[in-house]
Amino acid sequence: MLKEFAPKLKLSTEAATVEGLLDDLESRYPRLRFRLRDETGRVRPFVRVFVNGEEIGDLAGLATPLGASDSIDILHSIQGG
Amino acid sequence: MVKNGAVRVFVGTRKGGYVVEGDRRRTKWSVKGPFQPGRDVFHIAADPRQEGAVYAAVNSGFFGPMLLRSTDWGSKWSEIPPPMMTVMAKRPKPNPDGTPPSHPIVNLWHLEPGPANEPKSLYLGVDPASLYRSDDRGNSWESVTGLNEHETRPKWNPGAGGLCLHTVLIDPSKPSRRYVGISAAGTFKSDDGGEHWRPANRGVKVSFLPDPDPPFGQCVHKVALDPLRPETVYRQDHDGIYISRDAMESWTRIGKPLDTDFGFVVATAPALPGTAFFVPLQGESRTMKGGVQVYRWTEKDRKWTPMVKGQPWRGDIGTHREGLAADALDPAGLYLGTTTGELFFSNDAAKSWGQVPYHFPGIHSVSVASPAA
Repeated sequence: MLKEFAPKLKLSTEAATVEGLLDDLESRYPRLRFRLRDETGRVRPFVRVFVNGEEIGDLAGLATPLGASDSIDILHSIQGG
Repeated sequence: MVKNGAVRVFVGTRKGGYVVEGDRRRTKWSVKGPFQPGRDVFHIAADPRQEGAVYAAVNSGFFGPMLLRSTDWGSKWSEIPPPMMTVMAKRPKPNPDGTPPSHPIVNLWHLEPGPANEPKSLYLGVDPASLYRSDDRGNSWESVTGLNEHETRPKWNPGAGGLCLHTVLIDPSKPSRRYVGISAAGTFKSDDGGEHWRPANRGVKVSFLPDPDPPFGQCVHKVALDPLRPETVYRQDHDGIYISRDAMESWTRIGKPLDTDFGFVVATAPALPGTAFFVPLQGESRTMKGGVQVYRWTEKDRKWTPMVKGQPWRGDIGTHREGLAADALDPAGLYLGTTTGELFFSNDAAKSWGQVPYHFPGIHSVSVASPAA
């Protein structure tokens, strides 16, 4: 679904935290800005960010630190009806 | 203003927006869309001051609020930034001191082009109840702080649809006079172009607060001005149908003769001064047992008249607050979009009705751009 706003689906980053990663993504793809996070900086309700398979809500949220070999997935949870 | 004679009905639905086109006779319709498929399109507004300009308020469950602009009647759309979401090289600081916005946006609700003497102005009403103004056709927005930081705001409460600012009205005879409707804070009035605002609900009772006659806090669902006599204003509230004959200084309930005067919609038409249309519903179900009926109120004889002849439209039909609209032709055209996806139309001032042969998703809003009579 993110292809509408960010055509490249896999990329590398040197960001030190999840927040830094989102800043980096938004900088590369300005249309993504406010689509993953709202104007307060909060991740939108149906966006899920995973670090090595763990949801950041179970880690340190946007402050979750990132290492060189970490794998991050940004997904939308299912919303239907 | 539409020069080529087409009548365009803009339909916002739960799963995208549509443009329904007909000619002046308004008998045959073609349906284009959806644009933004799958996304909630709460409202679409054509700008009568710029041929072909249309704006759309879109709310995506995944991506948040999105604003769109078209310059060709909705054939192509481009994104413009909602308030506080300007796309810059870096994520902008919400406030100069870095603090978060006071009222981050939940949903975009209503777009209203400004008066003719402010040709690039545009208003946007959002949830949580806030009004924004653009003076560059939506490229940038400023908070209308006289309303958004109003002294009564701490006591505003949301209705079932959220704390939404859903109505923006500009008096065509006195453009510095403006009104808004907020569920459930009531109506507010400005006489200085939107700098200062005051509650304008005198006489409108509420059933859900300890004080039945508060100065604000009414659950107003929709408001419409009489286009030719704009000191006359009609409102559909949670607690009844009211009229003001003095530019919202006082209100009188007129809906009591009806079986129910709960509902969401109201519409007026330039070709029908002294007339307003409502669609009463039952409050608990927000549908109407026995079928939906359009009622006409006429000021001349102060009477209600059911306008759907024979049986009302059968089925569990509801309407959202932007579901009824009128065009600018004579005889007036009326357009009713339902929560079950029917788009009913009348080309003779509601004396007879047809249905656009298309099954829409549940309809949030209907608006019209037509030639003037």
